[in-house]
Amino acid sequence: MSPNEWIALGMIGGFLVLMLIGIPVAISLAVAGFVAGLAGFGPLLFSLMPSRLYGVVTNYTLLAIPLFVFMGVMLEKSRVAEDMLETIGRAMGGVNGGMGIAIILVGVLMGASTGIVGATVVTVGMLTLPTLLRRGYHPGVASATICASGTLGQIIPPSLVLILLSEILGESVGTLFAAAFIPGLAIAIIYIVYLLVLGWWKPELVPAIPKAEREAAGGMKELLRDLARSVIPPLMLVFAVLGSILGGVAAPTEAASMGALGSLLIALLARRLDITMLKACLHSTLTITAMVYFILLCAQPFSLAFRGLGGENMVHDLFNLLPGGELGALIFLMVVLFVLGFFLEWIEISYIALPMFLPIFIGYGTDMVWLGVLVAMNLQMSFLTPPFGWALFFLKGVAPPEVTTRHLYLGVLPFVGLQAMAVVLLFCFPGLATWLPEAIGW
Amino acid sequence: MLRIINFLEAIIERLGIVARYSLLALVLLVASNVLLRYFFSISPVPLQELEWHLISPIALLGISYALKHRADVRVDVFYDRFSAKGRCLVDLLGAVMTIAIGAAIAWLGLAYTEQSWQLMEGSPDPGGLPYRYLLKAFIPLGFAALAIQGVADCLRALMGLMAPTKPSEGHEVRS
Amino acid sequence: APAIVRADTKKTYHWKMTNAYGPGSPFYVEGPGSPTDFCRKVEEMSGGRMKIQHFAAGELIPALEGFNAVASGVVEMNAGNAYFWAGKIPAAQYFTTVPFGMNTQGMNAWLYHGGGLELWHELYAPKGLIAFPMGNTGVQMTGWFRKPINTVEDFKGLKMRIPGLAGKVYAELGVAVRLLPGGEIFPALERGVIDAAEFVGPYQDRRLGLQKAAKYYYTTGWHEPTNVTELMINKSAWESLPEDLQAIVKAAAAACNVESQAWCESVNAEALTDLVENEGVIAQPLPDDVVARLKEVTEKTLTDMAAADPDTARVHESFMAFREQHKAWAAISEKTFLAL
Ligand code: NA
Ligand code: NA
Repeated sequence: MSPNEWIALGMIGGFLVLMLIGIPVAISLAVAGFVAGLAGFGPLLFSLMPSRLYGVVTNYTLLAIPLFVFMGVMLEKSRVAEDMLETIGRAMGGVNGGMGIAIILVGVLMGASTGIVGATVVTVGMLTLPTLLRRGYHPGVASATICASGTLGQIIPPSLVLILLSEILGESVGTLFAAAFIPGLAIAIIYIVYLLVLGWWKPELVPAIPKAEREAAGGMKELLRDLARSVIPPLMLVFAVLGSILGGVAAPTEAASMGALGSLLIALLARRLDITMLKACLHSTLTITAMVYFILLCAQPFSLAFRGLGGENMVHDLFNLLPGGELGALIFLMVVLFVLGFFLEWIEISYIALPMFLPIFIGYGTDMVWLGVLVAMNLQMSFLTPPFGWALFFLKGVAPPEVTTRHLYLGVLPFVGLQAMAVVLLFCFPGLATWLPEAIGW
Repeated sequence: MLRIINFLEAIIERLGIVARYSLLALVLLVASNVLLRYFFSISPVPLQELEWHLISPIALLGISYALKHRADVRVDVFYDRFSAKGRCLVDLLGAVMTIAIGAAIAWLGLAYTEQSWQLMEGSPDPGGLPYRYLLKAFIPLGFAALAIQGVADCLRALMGLMAPTKPSEGHEVRS
Repeated sequence: APAIVRADTKKTYHWKMTNAYGPGSPFYVEGPGSPTDFCRKVEEMSGGRMKIQHFAAGELIPALEGFNAVASGVVEMNAGNAYFWAGKIPAAQYFTTVPFGMNTQGMNAWLYHGGGLELWHELYAPKGLIAFPMGNTGVQMTGWFRKPINTVEDFKGLKMRIPGLAGKVYAELGVAVRLLPGGEIFPALERGVIDAAEFVGPYQDRRLGLQKAAKYYYTTGWHEPTNVTELMINKSAWESLPEDLQAIVKAAAAACNVESQAWCESVNAEALTDLVENEGVIAQPLPDDVVARLKEVTEKTLTDMAAADPDTARVHESFMAFREQHKAWAAISEKTFLAL
C-alpha cells in the first residue's frame, strides 16, 4: 500500500474515533477529511470543495427533503397524526408488532413517492417514534423498524440508486424500475413476517395495545370513527403525492409539494393553522432539514479526500484477489459493496466499485438488470450498517433523547440480516427481478 | 461571557429567519409551479430555477441554526458515560473543530464566489435567473455563521469547565 | 531554445480531467473517440510521458463545475460542452451548436478553417482557459412526443423537457418548458407530466427507454444540427507543456472529433432501424410550416442575443457569414447527393 492509502485508512479510523467520543457526526466527517486530505495531498485539493458543496445545495432531487419534512411536521403540529398510530394499533387488535407493520406499510407508500432515504426516515421517525415508545415498543426495535422502512424507498421505484445504476449499467431507467418492484415488495414482506414472528416470540418488545384499553376505547363503531378521523387524512396525503405522480400531475421530486400543500390544507380545515403554529412548524422543518444537509455537506471533504488520496486504489488492490468464475466474481462484488458500505456513502461506492467490476460481468454475459437490482439492494443495506449507516444518523437527529446510539446499532442488526437474506434470495432466483420488465415489455 | 454568547446567537437566529421564510416560499412555490403547469400549462423557467435556488439559503443558513438548537447528530455510545467535565471537554473540542471547519470552508467559498462574481455569472438557460454569485455567496456566509456558532459553543463549554463541579449539572449549560 | 525542450521531454506529466457526464455514458465518457479514449490516446502517443486521469461527473466534482475547477488550475482539463458555460460566457453557445446553424461538416469547417477556433481561444483567454473540439454527436433529434405535431398551434400548452436556447424558442410558441434532470425524463414522460422530451439521438434515447413512453419521434433536430464536445484546458498548464505534447493533445482531440462522430453515425443508424421496426416508433420530420415558424423565431432570438453582448455579436457575425458561404456549397454538394 502507498503512504496515501495508509492515510486514507487513518482518515476512516480518525473519523470513527471522533464520532465515537461524541463529536457531532458532521464535524467528525469534515475534520477527518480535511486533516487527511491536507496531510496526503496538500491544500490544492480543497479548492474543489466549494464546487462539491454547491452541487449538494443545488441538487434538484434533494428538494424532496424539505417538502416531505414540512408535511410531516405540519401533520405532527396539527395533531392530526397524534392518534393515527394508536388507532391503527387498536385496529390491529391483539396482534403484537401491529404498529410496526403499519410503519413498514407507510415506508412502502412513501418509498413509492420518493427515493430520498433522509426524507422518509426523518418524516416517519418524527411522526411515529414517540408513539411507539409510549406504547412500550423497545427503543431499538422501534427505531430500527423506522430506519428499515425508510430505506425501502431506495429500492421501490422511483429511486435515485436505480437512476444512477441505469446510467452506469447502460440499462433504461424504466427497465430497472420495473425490475426492482417485486424485490422491493419482497423485502417489505420479509420485514412484516419478521415483526409478526418477533411479536409471537418476544411480545414484550413489540406489544399490542392491551385488551382492556382497546375495549375501553369503544367498540367497532368508535374504532371506525377514529380511523376515519385520524388515519384517513394522513393516508390521503400520501395518496395525493403518489396519485400526482401516477396521474401525471407532478414529477417524482415535485410531487412531495402536493403532500406539503395538503398538510397545510388539513391544518387549516382542522382550524389549527395560525401564525404561532406556522412559525413553530417552520422552525422544526428547518432544524430537521438542516440536520440532514449538515451531514450531506460535511461528508464532502471526507469523500473528496478519499478520492484525492487514491482510496479507490485500495479497492483496486482487493480486486487482484478476485476469484475466477461468474459466481465467484458476483459474491466478491457483493462483499466489497457490503464492506465499503461501512464507511462510504452509496453514491461514492457506486462510482468507485462498479466501473471496476463492470467489464468482468460484461465478459461473463451477466444479466445487467439482475445485477443492477442486486447492487441496489446491497446499497440499500449500506444505509443500515453500523457504524456509518446514514439512516441511523438521520433517525438519531429526530429521535427523543432516550433513544441512544447503542439502541440503534443493536436494533438494526436483525434488519441487516434480513436484508442480506433478501439479497441471497434474489441471487438464487433471478426471475424475481427479470420477470416483470419482460412481462410488461419495459 | 454569557452576553457575548447571546450576541453571537442572536446573529444566528436572524439568519435563521431568512432560512425559515425561504422554506415557506419553497413549499408554496413548488406547489404552485405544479398546479400552474397542470391546469394552465404555464411553466416559467425563472420560477423553476427559483425552486432549487431556495435550497441554498435553507441548507446553508440552516446548519448553524440547527447547531444552535442542538439538532445535530452525535453518537452517544461513550459520551453519555463521561463525567460532566468530560462532556464539556468533548464539547470544547467539538466547538473548536466547528470553528476551524466553518472558517476554512468560508474562506474557500469566498474565493469561489469571487470567481463567479468576476464572471458576472448567470443561468446558462436563456430566461433563467441572473446573479448566480449571490446564490454561491451563501456558502461562505453559511459556514462563517457556523464558525460564529462554534465560538458561542466554545465559550459555553469553557463556562462549563470553569464552573464548580456539581455532578448533576455541567451538561445542562448547553441547552 | 532547444535545450529547454529537451529538459522537458524527460518529465512525465500527470494531469487530471473531469467530465460533465456521469460514469459509463457512451460517447460522453466511454467508447471510440470519447474523453476516456482521448486520455488513452494521449498516453499511447506520448509513450507514457503524459498520463491523464479521468474523473466522470460526481467522482471528483459535480457535473457542471468543470469550468471553475479548470480555471482555478486544480484540474488541468475538462470534457463537456461549451454551451454549459453560457451563464459565464454568453457567446459559448456558438462553439457547441447553433439552432438552424450548420451541420457537423460546416461546424468543423468554421472551427478549424473559418476563424471559429481563433474566436473561441480569444474569448477563453481572459478566463485563463483554452479549448479544442474533441467530439461530435452529429445531428441530434427534435425529440419524443406523445401526440403528433401537425401545426404550430399544437405547441400551445405542450409541456416539454427542453433545456437551453431551443427552450426559449419553443416558449415563444406557447410551449411550457420544463427543466428536468436526465434521470427524471423517463418517469415524467411515461406518466404524462410532460408531453415531449428532447435528449440526444436514437442510440442514447433508446438507452433511456424513451420509446416506451412516447411513440412520435420527430427527427432532424433543428435546434442541434451538430453538437461539439469541448476539451477545455487550463491555459498556464497548457503553456507549460512542451511543444511535442501540445501537438499530441491537439492531434488526439482532432482524432476523437472524427472517430466519435463516425461511431455515432453507425450506432444511430442501427438504433433508428430497431426503434422503427421493433418498437413501433413513428419517426418523421416536423411539418414544413412548423419548421419555418421555428426558424423565424430562432433568427430573432439569436439576433437579440447578439445585440445584448459585444463578444456574442462578433462570434455571431463570423458564424453567420461562414454559414452563408457554406450553404451555397452544401446545397450543390451534400444536399444534391442525398437527394439522389
Ligand atoms: Na422510491
Ligand atoms: Na453504511
